[in-house]
Amino acid sequence: AASCRSRSEAKSGRTDLIFLIRFRHCCLLRNQRCVVAYLYDRLLRIRALRWEYGSVLPSAIHFHMSAEEVEWFNRYKKSLATYMRSVGGEEGLDLTQDIKPPKSLYIEVRCLKDYGEFEIDDGTTVLLKKNSQHFLPRWKCEQLIRQGVLEHVLS
Amino acid sequence: VRIVTCTNILKLLLFLQRVLLLVASDVDALCACKILQALFQCDHVQYTLVPVSGWQELETAFLEHKDQFKYFVLINCGANVDLLEILQPEEDVLFFVCDSHRPINVVNVYNETQIKLLVKQDDDLDVPAYDDIFRDEEDEDDDSENESDGSEPSEKRRRFEEDVIERTMRRRQKREWEARRREILFDYEQYEYHGTSSAMVMFDLAWIMSKDLNDMLWWAIVGLTDQWVQDKITQMKYVTDIGILQRHVSRHNHRNEDEENSLSIDCMRIAFEYDLRLALYQHWSLYESLCNTSYTSACLKLWSVQGQKRLQEFLADMGLPLKQVKQKFNSMDISLKENLREMIEESANKFGMKDLRVQTFSIHFGFKNKFLASDIVYATTSLMENIEKEGPETDNFIKALDSLSRSNLDKLHQGLDLAKKQLRAIQQTVASCICTNLVISQGPFLYCSLMEGTPDVKLFSKPVSLCLLSKYLLKSFVCSTKNKRCKLLPLVMAAPMDVEQGTVIMVGIPPETESSDKKNFFGRAFEKAAESTNSRTLHNHFDMSIIELKTEDRSKFLDALISLLS
Repeated sequence: AASCRSRSEAKSGRTDLIFLIRFRHCCLLRNQRCVVAYLYDRLLRIRALRWEYGSVLPSAIHFHMSAEEVEWFNRYKKSLATYMRSVGGEEGLDLTQDIKPPKSLYIEVRCLKDYGEFEIDDGTTVLLKKNSQHFLPRWKCEQLIRQGVLEHVLS
Repeated sequence: VRIVTCTNILKLLLFLQRVLLLVASDVDALCACKILQALFQCDHVQYTLVPVSGWQELETAFLEHKDQFKYFVLINCGANVDLLEILQPEEDVLFFVCDSHRPINVVNVYNETQIKLLVKQDDDLDVPAYDDIFRDEEDEDDDSENESDGSEPSEKRRRFEEDVIERTMRRRQKREWEARRREILFDYEQYEYHGTSSAMVMFDLAWIMSKDLNDMLWWAIVGLTDQWVQDKITQMKYVTDIGILQRHVSRHNHRNEDEENSLSIDCMRIAFEYDLRLALYQHWSLYESLCNTSYTSACLKLWSVQGQKRLQEFLADMGLPLKQVKQKFNSMDISLKENLREMIEESANKFGMKDLRVQTFSIHFGFKNKFLASDIVYATTSLMENIEKEGPETDNFIKALDSLSRSNLDKLHQGLDLAKKQLRAIQQTVASCICTNLVISQGPFLYCSLMEGTPDVKLFSKPVSLCLLSKYLLKSFVCSTKNKRCKLLPLVMAAPMDVEQGTVIMVGIPPETESSDKKNFFGRAFEKAAESTNSRTLHNHFDMSIIELKTEDRSKFLDALISLLS
């Protein structure tokens, strides 16, 4: 509103206000740039979250996202899913697995907190208690490692 | 005797789907566990590792996991009790037990289906013969054999009398057999002792499978050294086992002796050492190590003023200036370090310390990293029984397990620092106990009780630390007392365990003699004393000679123990 008033005053011939207006305008543009950069950075991080956590975000993170960001995330998810389905033949290819080249089929993991029973694909369950160690196939552990329940033990 | 030897085990293990490892809390068990983990990882056998520190944890872990696993491996636990009775498993559950505790419970030995024991072939178990302790229930009722029809009354009466005589004979025989059985079992189970280190057994398994590595060999060495540090095996057994390991060490490390083909300095190598038995001396100062090693402290009687003088004389005899000796070992003058071992040995002989050097092994990797096996044992034990951090006991177990990997040097160094504190605390406690005459003879044994409020008493609420303290105290006491009879007595030691719950931890150790066979009768004695006085005791530890009891019950328990053993 202040800038509108200045502009109208300038148009009405108050040339000594030109510099004030220009200065203020530059400040506003700068602030706008900062805000946009901030929002863009948030989007980039939200995008990275899809790769880190999977398609369901922990509620703690969800809480801090605005409604528009949530919608953006859902659309990104859909976009990624469509792409992954189109690649790699009939079943599609899950690109979010094995982001780093795996060194071994099985890995040693340590449980960092009491998680309870965890069911593996073939129906068997593993009881994840704090400080228990397990030697399991890599793909079964990756999600829990990302969630911070398990820790990869390097020896 | 139906014990499965190592060769059969390997075939069974390779076909297993998933295994639950239950590992006891001692360094030998940790080393055996590391070797087994390496073997499992090599063959992609899925496993879960659960640390257990006593019978209760073992039972809990079994109950929690019995629906998910059919195969259990128990390391340094389970051999000396009737496992099937305690755990009540299903028919198809299989237990593999690699445990150095002896004697092995007879039910475990003779069970053919569910219990597999990993034992070295030349370990003599002294198990009683099957027929002496097991007997099929015979049908005593043989009236059905009597044919009554068509016989004369006199014949019938004769047969009846014969039957009565036969039955009485059989009953008498059964009673005699049972009495003999009780005697045999009593003799067999009376003394607790330890067999070959579990880590060495696991290494043997790896060797038979041709999957043994230098790393595994080092863990086997640490496992054996743990048994030596804790005084669990005789000197002869130790020397024999060192010989066995030395052959493996030569096989794996011979390349280092060849100047031209030697490996890079960063590669891990193991070397045989005939080194000083001064605890942690290469990571401490020589002076501190001399003061805090039980052997030197006891022989020189360092708790007394004369002892301190003797120490000065000892150092002077070797020509080692006090300033040098109090420095960090690595900073000592190289000229002094050159012939240190021989020099110390020569002087030590003059001061009555004939066994200052001991056969052991050391590990080198990189330029800075050199450790003796005993260094690792002290460090790992301290990490495992660390009281400084609050948190579940399993945290300490995990940290100790990690410190055995070469990539976790920071944890190892932390362990070394803790070990120094522990050794200092032990020596100070020993000195104060001797100076204040806290060790009293109760007749059949010596007794010492630590009061609440004694410095570092919290350290000794842990079983291994308390055992170490007891052994060092007994050694020092034997050197300090003039009473010939007292020198041959075993020791019972008590320390406050949990002040809030009012419990005390008590250990019993065998007498300290040159030719001791390290056999400990306190396990059974504690059980009997607790029964006869209805004391509230907890026999939770895998070593039966370590118990917890309520402070109020302590005096009546001790009285019962005294009368039992007199």
